[in-house]
Parts: sequence; structure tokens; C-alpha cells
Amino acid sequence: MDIVRANDVSRVFPMPAGPVAALRRVSLSIGSGEHVAITGPSGCGKSTLLHLLGGVDAPTAGSIVFEGRDLASLSEADRTRLRLTRIGFVFQRFFLLPMLTAAENIELPQAEAGAAAAARRSRTRELLAYVGLGERADHLPSQLSGGEMQRAAIARALANRPALLLADEPTGELDEATSDTIADLFDRVNADGTAILVVTHNHALASRASRRLAMRSGQLVA
Amino acid sequence: MSALHLAWRTVRRYRAQTLLAIAGVAVIGALLFDMLLLSRGLLLSFADLLERAGYDVRIVGGGGMTLRMPIPGSAGIADTLRGLPEIETVALVRILPARVAGRNGTSVSAALIGVSGAASGVWTIVRGVDLDRASGEPCPVIVGRTLADALHAAPGDDVRITAEPAGVRSALPPIVCRVAGVGQFAFGGAGDETVATTLEALHRASGEDRAGDADLILARSRADAGAAAAVAAIQRARPGLAVYSNDEVLEQFNRNGFAYFRQISLVLSSLTMVFAFLLVATLLTVSVNQRLGEIAALRAIGIGRRRVAAMLLWESALLVGVGGLLALPLGELLALGLDRILRQMPGLPEQLHFFVFEPRALAVHVAVLVVTAVAAAAYPMWVTSRLPIAATLRREVVG
Repeated sequence: MDIVRANDVSRVFPMPAGPVAALRRVSLSIGSGEHVAITGPSGCGKSTLLHLLGGVDAPTAGSIVFEGRDLASLSEADRTRLRLTRIGFVFQRFFLLPMLTAAENIELPQAEAGAAAAARRSRTRELLAYVGLGERADHLPSQLSGGEMQRAAIARALANRPALLLADEPTGELDEATSDTIADLFDRVNADGTAILVVTHNHALASRASRRLAMRSGQLVA
Repeated sequence: MSALHLAWRTVRRYRAQTLLAIAGVAVIGALLFDMLLLSRGLLLSFADLLERAGYDVRIVGGGGMTLRMPIPGSAGIADTLRGLPEIETVALVRILPARVAGRNGTSVSAALIGVSGAASGVWTIVRGVDLDRASGEPCPVIVGRTLADALHAAPGDDVRITAEPAGVRSALPPIVCRVAGVGQFAFGGAGDETVATTLEALHRASGEDRAGDADLILARSRADAGAAAAVAAIQRARPGLAVYSNDEVLEQFNRNGFAYFRQISLVLSSLTMVFAFLLVATLLTVSVNQRLGEIAALRAIGIGRRRVAAMLLWESALLVGVGGLLALPLGELLALGLDRILRQMPGLPEQLHFFVFEPRALAVHVAVLVVTAVAAAAYPMWVTSRLPIAATLRREVVG
């Protein structure tokens, strides 16, 4: 069953020098439990596609259907709720809140989803152990290494048990050894049943995916 | 993990920015608080002086409240007033320039106040006794504190008083009076020397007969009648008299004498409010611009606009709230200093204050700061609510 499906989507950005087509009639579906990687040169439209699939941007043409619901038909609040509960985001620059500890960063989306305090704490402990940060729960992001920050960010993305994890260049700021650790973690997350779409330049990371796609000039080419 | 919790952690994290904002709001808030104290301070202080005199109705001569002119037939008017059921007590007040000489040979110009009956409240006895307790003395006097110091006069000492009526070259002989007490005069200005005695003694000093006109007739209404009823009764009994209740006196001064302070304080408090708004709005906007990536990521992971907006509102409230709280003691200290300076102006009653605390000033201070906090957060909230998530994330990565 498809979790998310892009139907013939295009995305054109208006620019002072004239419109720029970042995506041209792309169709893609990601099934439950799939692990998909999209590679391609910078500016080819990988991140744009990921943003469309995650409901943080809207296509200029075509449609995105998430678990049977056309995202265009949802209100802003419904899309926000969908992202909170069904989609996990992992960013290249982690974007952990610097004033919160690792544990608090993981608790935040659970709190937003209305989870009780005890359930949040239990789930947070579980996730910290899952990503190997059990001993770093009370550390601020500034006290964590890049790899630890990304693991905390992955734990945050998994906090509300999403159906789909979207990762945008998750190893872009990490060295090779740390990138391997993150790739291992993605494998484990996927093996535990969460579908993953990762857009990356990192071929080692992409090679872990069960389906690899390439993009060129706003189109999927393989 | 409420929006308040997130805001609290944010302001703690950005300490330098937070301290700067709080210090700025505290200083600006102190000025705002002072302007609020100033806006009605004189009025409240003047009302307090009037109340403390113990009389709630005043009858003055043709010049009104601001120009002192004798009231013709004062003694007869006082007798009429004493017969009114709305009136409890009546006192006549006559004020003349005089010279007062002490035993040490020092001679000082002073205002000589003659009062009929008890006039408690017009002065406060600091040492010795009041006029009504100096029984048997033909000319008991209450000497102002600074005058007592200048003459080295203490209760029991004799002083020589020479009346010097205005416009008359005085050749009046001095009369010898005995100091009954040393007092602080409610309406005496800093540097103004005052001596008070009975109306009879003043008449002897000035050569006026007993029916001499008073400059002011004070009356206290009966508790069950009230000042307004007393004023109405006096006007019925003696039409044509200029009669004012304390409230009317205050209203007159509020319209004429104190309007400048109100206008100045309104302008300055509006300006301080704008400064506070600009300071907090600028700092919050800068802070939000520094955190656009974080905020876009928060929105991407499903944190709602409302929570982000509430977080910013709380940040603003914390900065303005803490700054506003610190502004109170700071403003109070500043008000004490400014009050001391302003009270040195010549001709002002020593006990008149420019900055007077009242709960209303505190309530307005809080209300103005709440409005400032909300207004300062409005633009950053608007920016984040319209933040294009994908474009911001893209910019953050490219940047």
C-alpha cells in the first residue's frame, strides 16, 4: 500500500529573472516499509520533491496524496497535524532546539501531539536508547557531536511513530565514519517498519536503500 | 512542554540579549512609571494637604482661589456659618507680612497667620503645644521650624512681631509673643518663614479692629451633611460668596495649575512606551531572524503556528514583565530624587510632592506594559506565521 504518491507534480519558483522549474512532472510512490534513496547533483530538485512529499510546500501542478488524502485538500492545520503524527523529518543541519536538552527535543513533538507526560518520558527514554544516546539525555545540542545531534534528530523524527521518515542530506555535515553510523540507524529504523525516503549526495548512504532513484534537472531519470 | 516553558528556555539561552532587553525595559519602564506618578502626583498631594487641614469648605475673597483678597464682613459671615446645621466648625484666617525678632537679635521676614479657633491640620506641632493649649497667653505663637532655627527660639521663649501690611509703610509697634510650639506648616514653602497666632493677637499686631476682614474662611461640614451640602447651604444663606468645597478647589487647580504636568507626562509616557515597544520589537525581530531555520524546522516537524506564536508572545512578556517589575523600584528611586529637586522650587508648599504613588498608577503601568509586550511580539509573530517553511529550510542549507 502506498504511503505517499506524487502524481505528475511540477514546482516552479518565480524568480526576478524569470520562473525556474525545480520539478517537471514527477511521479513517484513510496510504499509502506520501503527504503528509497534519491541522488542527484545539487539543484536538481531532490529537496523540493522531499518538501512536496512532506507537505511543507505545494506543487505548482499535479498532486500529492498521503495515505489516500490529497494534501491540497487539507487545511494548513490538518497538514501540520499530518506532519506531526505521520511524517518524520531529518535535516542536514539537524535543527535541534539549542535551548532544550536531547530528551526535551524528543519530547517536544510528543507534547505537541498531546501525549501525557509519563508516556512522553517513557517514549523518550526508549528512543534515546534506540539511537544510542541513553547517557546523553540531559545534554544540550551544543554539548553533542554532529553524529550525536543527528541521532537525536532522528529520535525526534520518530517520536510520534511516523509512517514515513523524510531525510534531507542527513549526512551532509558528517564525516564518513559518523555517516555510516547514521546509515546503520536508518537501516534499523526501516527494518522496524518505518518507510524512509532519503535524498543525498552520499552514495554509501543511498546504497543502503532498497530502491534508488536519480534526478536530473527536475526529473527522475532512473 | 508549554509555550511558556519554551520561551523561558529561549530567554535563558540568549542571556546577553535577554539582559540587554530587560535592562532597557527597566530603565524605560522606570521613566514611564515616573511619568504616571507625576501625571497626578501634584493633584493627589494637594488633595492630601487640603484634607489634612481638617476643613472641607473654603470661602475666599473676590479674587478667587489664586488671588488672595480680604473677605469683607468676615466675622459676620462666620457667625452666619456657625448657625447653619450643615456646618460643624468655622475658622477665620488672616495672613499678613511681618518681621519676627528673636532674643538673639535676629530679625526675619515671615508670613504672620492669624487663626480663629482651632486650626489643627494647617500645621503640625513638632515641639511644644498648639495654640489652644497655651492658655492664659495673650499672644501665643507657633513658629515654623526653619524660623525657630533662625531665631534660636524654643517653646517658652519670647519673640517680637511687627506686622507690615502690604502697601502700608509700617510704623506699628512690635508686640511680644511667647512661643507655644514649633510646627511644620502644610502650605509653607521651602525657605518661606511662617509664624501663626490667634486672630486676636494678629489684630493687635496689625492694629486692625476685631471685625477686620479675613483672607480665608475655613469650614468643616458635618459628617452627615457633606461638603457639597455645606457649600449649597452657605450659598443660600450668603449669596455672592465665593465658596468652594475641597473637590471644587482641586478641580480648579486640576484644570488650570496642574494641566501642564498632565500634558507633559502624557507626552513623555507615550514616548517611553514607544521606546519600550521599539526596543523589544527590535530585539525579538532580530532574535527571530537568527532562528528562522529553527522555526521553519519546528513548523516542518508539525509544531503548530499557534505554539510558535505563543512562544514569541511569552518571550516578549517575560522580557517586558521582568523589566517592568525592575522598573518599579528603579522608578521609585528616581521619583524620590526628582521630587527632591522639584520641591526646591520657590513658593511651593514644603509638603507638596510631585511624584505620588497610587494603585491606579501601578495598574496603568502594568496595562501599558502588557500592551507593549503584545505589540512588540506582533511583528515577529506575523513573520513566523507567514514563514515559507520549504524556502526557509532551503535558504538555511544554502546559506
